[in-house]
Amino acid sequence: MNSLSEASLARLESIAGSAAMLTDAALLAAYDVDGARPGAAVRPGDAAAAAEIVRCAAAENLALIACGGRTKLSIGAAPSRYDIALDLSRMNRILAYDPGDLTLGVEPGVTLTELRRALAEHGQFLPLESPYAASATVGGTIAANAISPLRQAFGGPRDFVLGMEFVTGEGEPAKGGGRVVKNVTGYDLHKLMIGSLGTLGVITRINFRTFPLPAGERAVLAAFPSAENAFSFCAAITHSPLEPRRLETFDAAAMRLLGLAPTGPGSGEGAWCVLVDAAGTSAVVARHQRDLERLARAAGAAQFTALESSDRGKWLTRALEFPRYVAERSPETLLVRIAAPPTAMPALAAESLRIARSNPVESALFLPATGLAYLALQPRESGSAALGSLATAVTQFFEAISGNAVNARDVAAMVEGCPAELKRRISLWGPAKDDFELMQRVKKVFDPRNVLSPGRFCGGI
Amino acid sequence: MNPKLIRELEHRLGRDSVLSLREDLLLYEYDGSVEVARPECVVFPRATTDVADIVRLANQYETPLVGRGAGTGLSGGALARDGGIVVAFSRMNRILEVDAENRRAIVQPGVVNLDLTLAVEHLGLYFAPDPSSQKACTIGGNVLENAGGPHTLAYGVTTNHVTGLELVLPEGRVVRIGGRAAETLGYDLTGLLVGSEGTLAIVTEITVRLSRKPEAVKTLLAVYEAVDDATESVVEITRRGITPAACEMLDGWTLRTVEDFVHAGFPRDSAAVLLLEVEGLAEGVEEQAAEISAVCLAKRAREVRVARDDRERDLLWKGRKNAFGAIGRISPSYYVQDGVIPRTKLPQTLRRIAEIGEKYGFRIGNIFHAGDGNLHPLILFDPRHPGEFDRVVAASGEIIRHCIEMGGALTGEHGVGMEKNELMPLMFTPGDLALMKRVRGAFNPTGRLNPKKIFPLGKGCGEVRIQPPPLPSSLPA
Repeated sequence: MNSLSEASLARLESIAGSAAMLTDAALLAAYDVDGARPGAAVRPGDAAAAAEIVRCAAAENLALIACGGRTKLSIGAAPSRYDIALDLSRMNRILAYDPGDLTLGVEPGVTLTELRRALAEHGQFLPLESPYAASATVGGTIAANAISPLRQAFGGPRDFVLGMEFVTGEGEPAKGGGRVVKNVTGYDLHKLMIGSLGTLGVITRINFRTFPLPAGERAVLAAFPSAENAFSFCAAITHSPLEPRRLETFDAAAMRLLGLAPTGPGSGEGAWCVLVDAAGTSAVVARHQRDLERLARAAGAAQFTALESSDRGKWLTRALEFPRYVAERSPETLLVRIAAPPTAMPALAAESLRIARSNPVESALFLPATGLAYLALQPRESGSAALGSLATAVTQFFEAISGNAVNARDVAAMVEGCPAELKRRISLWGPAKDDFELMQRVKKVFDPRNVLSPGRFCGGI
Repeated sequence: MNPKLIRELEHRLGRDSVLSLREDLLLYEYDGSVEVARPECVVFPRATTDVADIVRLANQYETPLVGRGAGTGLSGGALARDGGIVVAFSRMNRILEVDAENRRAIVQPGVVNLDLTLAVEHLGLYFAPDPSSQKACTIGGNVLENAGGPHTLAYGVTTNHVTGLELVLPEGRVVRIGGRAAETLGYDLTGLLVGSEGTLAIVTEITVRLSRKPEAVKTLLAVYEAVDDATESVVEITRRGITPAACEMLDGWTLRTVEDFVHAGFPRDSAAVLLLEVEGLAEGVEEQAAEISAVCLAKRAREVRVARDDRERDLLWKGRKNAFGAIGRISPSYYVQDGVIPRTKLPQTLRRIAEIGEKYGFRIGNIFHAGDGNLHPLILFDPRHPGEFDRVVAASGEIIRHCIEMGGALTGEHGVGMEKNELMPLMFTPGDLALMKRVRGAFNPTGRLNPKKIFPLGKGCGEVRIQPPPLPSSLPA
């Protein structure tokens, strides 16, 4: 438990108001990050108050971690210091929404659920999804650059965030980008915030472009006897004129973990499933289904089914929550997030499974979209031996990436979830690449006093 | 410039790779903007190691450095504002790798935009950013200016199509950022570098995303009797969530000028046309084209034509992409703005631009990316008339202020460069700019890499301080 000086507490309280500050140890437990507990949680009501809190922290040499729904605080390395939780959940207003322009500006604490509701009123949506969907906020989803299967069609936040306002580590408000759909004025500082785990700035406003809801949607599921068949189906889709919204690939263990099991032919051990979701008018959706069935059969599908709407919902929801299913399975699981060229994926998958087999760990592989994968590892035993097995397996995994199997520079991987004790033993981002020194320079510009989430980013940033 | 530096450059690169005679340098003193600045030396590297050595020599002699592709930029990004060395990439123009399976290509910065598409066309692929200058402009220039084009409406600008870069940092170190994967898991340095206008590092290799050519394309020309009807059509198309691949507008005066030159088939008696394109699966294209037609007709379009074949389609696009050339035929000079507004504000903004033209007594043509609210008002003027350019700058300043008041942006695709740097305070606070300057300082601490770009130099905040353009040599003064 961290203790803040009386003076610091008084100053924070004068900024936020006593109603917006927590110091009770029992309540602060909810803000723990990897076992570290802050001395206070402060809940500012607007960007100006948030900036003042950061200024106060900077002046008193305190470390601060920004949070919203607190669903992603376990991502990243353990903080080296942690004095204040800056809880942005009260900053939950939609600041500007111009449905006619398909643009939107929101505070970071808006939940994804609330945002979906507000946009749906105008027949629009944001292709931003996140595990822990019920409580995840926009700010946290952006700061963690959470993977959503919608990346298949819409890319990541860097492709539809138009601009951001944020507070630097010195408590200075600043911004990058703008509010219109096209803009090249100034440096794209907002892009640096995406996936920075709160180490560069406290996000106070995010501007997005929004998208029209499709006229209809339909998902099909194809089951294959092997990884090779499944990957060849995915490649065939990529090279076809089809434009699926989602293209999700599961190995048998991933489906077991999610409680999703296709029945019938080709659904046994070693089976792989590919879910493809198409959106558009009925003619477009029907065309997808027709072509997908042909491609699936050609790739050796054991079965091909169009999912009923309730089944579709179940598959999509659970797949999105893959990281949560992994974490809830056991506290000793480890989750690796991988981005690689699609042609490297089959080899990476095979290598991962080989590593799992040669260690006492079980593995599950889920690819949320082309070129993206989640690898979950769970030790067969428990206790300290379990951590040892995980550490060995993940080290071998990073070695395999830097080895000859695939081009190391083209693969990005990080451990997104693992037991807190393990975080001190392994490098969550694998070996440093030659751009790390540039990242240090960037950190120094935005947060020279190391106030924001110190230690949580790669290489101890 | 120190003759010793030129000798050392010649020694390192070969004499055929260094220009330093005044008559040679004249060719490198301009770009596509109205600005002029002459370098003291131009060098032509063949490889990344050449660039690294050039950068080290420039440091040793404390000489400014500016990268240059084809010099088609519209904001002076490639001009040597403080003299020094221009690093011209015309010899680093190889496509190093086409990875069709992963839809990536690795190219040197001097590769011409259209040449990449031509090289991968047989694989059913293309490079999506398509600035009007795509036959000449280089991908290196596209990356540093974050270039756009008509089809960025649906596919995004250059930054959405770059996944990795090789850089030579201002201290001479070579670093790779990003790669072939869809994302990086550290800070998105590639996202920062794209659009940094050559002020952070020199880019020597680019990994780009290739797009798959659509199965079906339909090009439509909606013809209007009134500008308001055309802009209202764009508002309605956007509001309904229809995203054409492109949605371009030409007003009556501009389309007549273009028509006289290109004979693209724009009706000379109309007040405005919208050039629209829909792409994708055949089924979707049919439906979208029908929906767009219905919207345009409901907004009083006189007719909506559909290009019958590739020839008609190419001709319509030729009209659009050669428009600036057509205008150059009839006016001694013109000045083009690049402001952006929310799409909902299009009708009132076009009316405002017309008022500003009347107020200052200028003909202002409009040919622009209507679908994403990216305006290109063209102010025609004659540099031989004393004081005229000052009034152009004043009129243009009023237009850009209107864009900012509407919640828009200073530049949608041309960049800030040395053209709009004094306008930056309209969009950014001193704090915003100070942070951006510190970012520049982290990469480019001496400021010798592409000096005096992006950031305001003067004290008069918000003033355009561009110099009047030189008189074209072909015109009598």
